[in-house]
Amino acid sequence: MTISKPTLVVVGNGMVGHHFIEQLCSLGLNKTYDVHVFGEEPRPAYDRVQLSKYFETGSADPLMLTSAQDYQDWGITLHLNTPITAIDIAAKTVTSAQGECYSYSRLVLATGSFPFVPPIQGNDRSQCLVYRTIEDLEAIQLAAKNSQVGVVVGGGLLGLEAANAMMQLGVKTHVVEFAPQLMPVQLNDKAGELLCSKIEQLGVSVHTSKATTAIIDGESALHRMTFKDESYLETDMIVFSAGIRPQDTLARVSNIRIGERGGIEINDDCLTSAPDVYAIGECALWQQKIFGLVAPGYQMARVAASHIASLSSNVPSLSFTGADMSTKLKLLGVDVAAIGASRGFDNAQFVELSDNQAGIYKKLWLDDSGKFLKGAVLIGDNGDYSRLLDMYLSQDEIQGSAVELLLAGAENEADLKDTSIVCSCHQVTKGDIVAAVTAGNHKMAEIKSCTRAASGCGGCAPLVQKIIDQTLQAAGLDFNAGICAHFDHDRQALYHICQVEGISDFTTLITQHGKPSANGLHYGCDICKPAAASIFASLKNQYVLNQDNGHVQLQDTNDAYLGNIQKDGTYSIVPRVAGGEITPTKLIAMGQIAQEYDLYTKITGGQRIDMFGAKLSQLPEIWKKLIDAGFETGHAYGKSLRTVKSCVGSTWCRYGVQDSVGFAIDLENRYKGLRSPHKLKFAVSGCTRECAEAQSKDIGVIATDKGWNLYVAGNGGMRPRHGDLFATDLSTDELYQYIDRILMFYVKTADKLQRTSTWMESLDGGLAYLKSVVIDDALGINAALEQQMNHIVATYQCEWKTSLEKPEFLARFNEFVNPNEAPMSDANAYQRVREQRFPNIKDAGAGTIAIKDITEQQTTADEVVA
Amino acid sequence: MSWINVCEETRLPIGTGVAAWVAGKAVAIFNLGQDGLYAIDNVDPATGVSVLARGLICEMDGELCVASPLYKQHYRLKTGVCIEDTSLIASPFDIKTEQGQVLVLAKV
Repeated sequence: MTISKPTLVVVGNGMVGHHFIEQLCSLGLNKTYDVHVFGEEPRPAYDRVQLSKYFETGSADPLMLTSAQDYQDWGITLHLNTPITAIDIAAKTVTSAQGECYSYSRLVLATGSFPFVPPIQGNDRSQCLVYRTIEDLEAIQLAAKNSQVGVVVGGGLLGLEAANAMMQLGVKTHVVEFAPQLMPVQLNDKAGELLCSKIEQLGVSVHTSKATTAIIDGESALHRMTFKDESYLETDMIVFSAGIRPQDTLARVSNIRIGERGGIEINDDCLTSAPDVYAIGECALWQQKIFGLVAPGYQMARVAASHIASLSSNVPSLSFTGADMSTKLKLLGVDVAAIGASRGFDNAQFVELSDNQAGIYKKLWLDDSGKFLKGAVLIGDNGDYSRLLDMYLSQDEIQGSAVELLLAGAENEADLKDTSIVCSCHQVTKGDIVAAVTAGNHKMAEIKSCTRAASGCGGCAPLVQKIIDQTLQAAGLDFNAGICAHFDHDRQALYHICQVEGISDFTTLITQHGKPSANGLHYGCDICKPAAASIFASLKNQYVLNQDNGHVQLQDTNDAYLGNIQKDGTYSIVPRVAGGEITPTKLIAMGQIAQEYDLYTKITGGQRIDMFGAKLSQLPEIWKKLIDAGFETGHAYGKSLRTVKSCVGSTWCRYGVQDSVGFAIDLENRYKGLRSPHKLKFAVSGCTRECAEAQSKDIGVIATDKGWNLYVAGNGGMRPRHGDLFATDLSTDELYQYIDRILMFYVKTADKLQRTSTWMESLDGGLAYLKSVVIDDALGINAALEQQMNHIVATYQCEWKTSLEKPEFLARFNEFVNPNEAPMSDANAYQRVREQRFPNIKDAGAGTIAIKDITEQQTTADEVVA
Repeated sequence: MSWINVCEETRLPIGTGVAAWVAGKAVAIFNLGQDGLYAIDNVDPATGVSVLARGLICEMDGELCVASPLYKQHYRLKTGVCIEDTSLIASPFDIKTEQGQVLVLAKV
């Protein structure tokens, strides 16, 4: 005789329903119950909080919280595409839309909520949508393809998320809000105002105090929305995001008790009026309150699971006692946080900080004694959130004056967890580095030696240095903000010193402002010398291999020989191919040169051609031939503008709205040769389809039908970052002006080897501050920045052309000072793979980096030419 | 062991390195003017590649070094011993000038 297990049915597989399953499994209840989960959507649970990520990646995969396989592994039956339409609470059965009937001994309702669509005439017209499921997103994406203008109805948390999604789809976005301000539930009026102005700076138009009366045919667009004040707005698509309503239909038709204004009533155990039926999440009503955030839903899931477990074991049953609705988030890139009674209350005392320049507003609400924190709102800077939330939840008495809470400054939150891998070559975590610093290794060289971090490809070195500095600072140890042992100044300070005092040689810089060694040596090191060389070049733009002013002795590996050194000591050569446009004649010329010197050729990610394997002594003759064929240096070796990638644009493409190639070429020709704190990559896309991937570049330009949208501080590589939308619909002249100022401000203020993305993140006040400097001239330096850029542009030189014109510069490209004594070059140094030449080095390379193994795997014995 | 005449002294730029062939071996020579003339094996012991003459000259805690252009290990110019990993040594050569000529003591 088999004893069948009792059945547990869960209706709904959203975030809360899935969290309940996870709790169930951790309590082992998936072994004691036969569990059936019903979801009406086609896929298992996904993250609804970060829906707009879908548009960043174009895929639902990053949103998924689980998979059908997980459920199978847990022994749980997951029915997708299966809505439940009826519950018989007496017979204890549920019936699916497909007509199948399942009995239950316990039932959990996690049916969530549905978007509220205001009862407006015309709300069911085409391209009138909502924002809740992945299917909704797909519909929004489809509508955006033939929309110029879009409106989001609702200026709350979800509405602004939807506006963000719409912006990302390249639609001119409006937000229409019934209340006089944005986020009326969480924010007071001043905070709402600041948020509004910040969002408008991003190009979203906000309309408050607008009651929509009807949606009718438009003249310039598909729809016209008419408002109570007799104004109107024309738009091609509308997304309703005006709040949520609990999805209680199933409970309602099944005679489970519902609140007056909706919601399935539950007690502290999350039990409903029907026996053995629970409700959790946004569909549940506890003490006349609906909780529209995910954290309280998770709390209910834990309560319901513990209650079920307590029936058959000695697991204590938890109870639901309400939940804190404090929240912290980034809306359209703007920090917003609300804690407790964030809109204030009668007899409240308060302290307030309003910094118009930095775009920060903070208000703390205190009880009538002024000793206890009851609520807070933060806009523009969330840095204090954790500390204030802790103070609010603990209700500790405030020590001293409450205003000090506002001025304490941001917490020194480490960016990474201890378990995060910092050096992926050697799998070194942040914790490893912190431990090594704590054990007494305070210098970069020591950390490299004992943890091996930054001793592989070296790409993590700036991050490692930051962790060392942070750790020393945290331990209260002597922390030197200088760039290296030879200077107490950071790069920005050195830049100012060189600019103000007109210094353009290293000896003057280190003797007057640096620290020669105790025995009087003033050589500096491989950190400060290249940094100084970059500063001199940014300020004066002289030939970088100049002997007279000693600049040649400062150049790092690649700059020193105007080529990119490879693992076998040879160099790669990258001529400039502005905008990625090249004539067949030049392509053939390049091919012939590569063939003559047997150079390995490869197309780069920046739409250029890289030729590998040139010996030091071959560089001048190869460059002579390239220059004769009309090429110039591509500065691939320099911390300077690399390339301006482009899509083909309106000249050929059916969709292009501007000439992206022509503009990319002009941009590349203007900024080529600019020496900067780190390399710079640009891209120009000819339409909103963004084929040039401009949002992953330091400077990204995307064509609109009215001009150009400018994105700044994007990055690919090790830490990808989407560029921030800086300004929209710019003319070509405005665009040059803004880019001139942004680049020179970056050159002036960034740290050494700091890309624009990390620079932006470290800039106090971030994007808003950069805009105030560049657009509003808040520092009054724009004229100087432009003048400096004009100087750089006017003094551009192709360094290879200059080198070839002066034979004395070329002596350093001899491999040996006594070449006649040199033996013939070693013929066994190369092998041929896929008809090209590769170095034969077996054991050189960055530690465990597997480049050599890959080629070995792909090479069969008969392909290798001895 | 014998002194090999490498080149005229005037052919050594000050503040950067050059490579020279000395009895079948590549040697990195660094002319630091009043701070001396140094020679170490040109082959970077960390990688086996002949490049040290092309490195940046550094001063680390009062000692003169060259930073390998490949992965930036620092080798002391006097002893050739690597600062980050003392098991790596770019062996030093004796070097001198006589009558305007640069001489390196070959090891064979």
